[in-house]
Amino acid sequence: MTLKRVRVLMMKEWREAFKGGKTIWIGTVAVPFILLGVSLFQLFQFGDFDRVNPEELSRVVGALFLVPLLYFLMFPLVIPHSIAIYAIMSEKEQKSLEPLLATPLRTEELFVGKALASILPAVGITWMAFALFVGVVWFLLPPMVLEVAWQQFGAIWLMALGLFAPLAAAFMTFASMTIATRVSDLRTAQLLSSFAMLPVLLSAFFLVFQHLLGRPMLLGLLALGIFVLDLGLVWLNVKLFGREEILTRWR
Amino acid sequence: MIIAEHLTRRFGDRVAVENLSLEIAEGEVFGFLGPNGAGKTTTVRMLAGLLAPTAGRAIVAGVDVCAEPQRVRLLVGILTEHPGLYEKLSAWHNLKFYGDLYNLPNPEAQIEKYLNLLGLWERRFEPVGTFSKGMKQKLAIARALLHEPKVLFLDEPTSGLDPESAKTVRDFIAQLASEKRTIFLCTHNLYEAEQLCTRIGLIKQRLIKVGSPQQLKRELYGRQIVIDLKEPISLSEDLQLPFVRNVQANGTRLLIQLDDPEAQNPVLIKRLVELGAQIQFVREHDRSLEEVYLELISEEKP
Repeated sequence: MTLKRVRVLMMKEWREAFKGGKTIWIGTVAVPFILLGVSLFQLFQFGDFDRVNPEELSRVVGALFLVPLLYFLMFPLVIPHSIAIYAIMSEKEQKSLEPLLATPLRTEELFVGKALASILPAVGITWMAFALFVGVVWFLLPPMVLEVAWQQFGAIWLMALGLFAPLAAAFMTFASMTIATRVSDLRTAQLLSSFAMLPVLLSAFFLVFQHLLGRPMLLGLLALGIFVLDLGLVWLNVKLFGREEILTRWR
Repeated sequence: MIIAEHLTRRFGDRVAVENLSLEIAEGEVFGFLGPNGAGKTTTVRMLAGLLAPTAGRAIVAGVDVCAEPQRVRLLVGILTEHPGLYEKLSAWHNLKFYGDLYNLPNPEAQIEKYLNLLGLWERRFEPVGTFSKGMKQKLAIARALLHEPKVLFLDEPTSGLDPESAKTVRDFIAQLASEKRTIFLCTHNLYEAEQLCTRIGLIKQRLIKVGSPQQLKRELYGRQIVIDLKEPISLSEDLQLPFVRNVQANGTRLLIQLDDPEAQNPVLIKRLVELGAQIQFVREHDRSLEEVYLELISEEKP
């Protein structure tokens, strides 16, 4: 496998996807930052944190920082969805797979290039959103807010961003690609891949609301489950990305 | 430059190409004709290292397509049935992407060369989606040539183009042939095949016939002379010429089959004049490749 060809393919995917219209821009960049903006707005709406006693502060921070945590779990699942489907469906619609396969590009490079083209933005945007969120809180709110938040959420944030985000982004990417290789219509692909997202998303939300606070390892277990799913999807995609399979079965 | 030996490809129970053997020399323009579903595209895909044969072998540009398909793909260029371009990207970015995949040392120079040659340079930064069908086809040809392949596979290069664009593409193919590139041309356009190809292969799962357009015509119909007379004559009397293989009379027109018209025409004409014929015109009957194609394809059992 040549990394240069993977990089070339990835750059092409991004150039093409972001020229693909508003949908991908909105889904991958605009929505996450709008949601984050709303969360920050709610934080600032609370008023003066300095006047709250420590016990009350802990309760308030616990409530106000819960919704952003949900977003950081949701972004890695939502962001790759559009890019991964587009990466396959646009090739099928434009009938550009055969000329592409006629180049020295190997099928594993094709798979890795297309997968990374949606995993990297998903993880990158999630991390950037988190960094922006923490930066704004640190810069504009009293220092104790972030201190209290870190005590309550630090371990979960690390688990969510360091482990869950890459694995969930990979899962959503592989699932969307698998679906896109098998269907011939963009809307069907989007609908089916949304269904694939739901179990993981709902499990993450359930953990957050019911058990997660104080038990971050539960999120680690969920990540482990996703990792197993990822391995299964990679195995499936290796079969689906055979040169002959693409030429004769992808419609 | 291309050697195929007993090349066969099956998809499940269906045989797409059966026992195809042929040799194509360097610099040759080889026309590949056959009805839809005859196995032309499958053959191209096997020869270009895209599909593995079920049986048989092929050597393209000195490389075994079964053993080193990736190396074959480096050495050949392919124009697929559909241009398959990225419509939202510009012509420049389409070619730059392919130039980078081929790891060309100076892709910009190659892009400039072919966009200029094909008259697309001025519109290089416009999205391909805004291009006409002819322009897209030219861009796809530029893409196939970007890495200067020794062997070029062209699948229906003028299909769906207006006459002017089709002529531009044909002229360009002729120019490529003059550069000693080996061209494997799949086409339904028999005029195009006759104009461009040094040899033609007819396929319907199996290779039915191979030869130059002239050879195929002669093999099937022999050589025929058309003689236009001022008045019809009765040929009830035999011409009494042993080399005449067949005579058809239709009013003032005679259609006479000969083996060697260059040598036999003077004797034939002399004899006809002796029989009272007033000859106006003598010419060789040029059968169209279409007649040959239809005859050979219809002979082949499905």
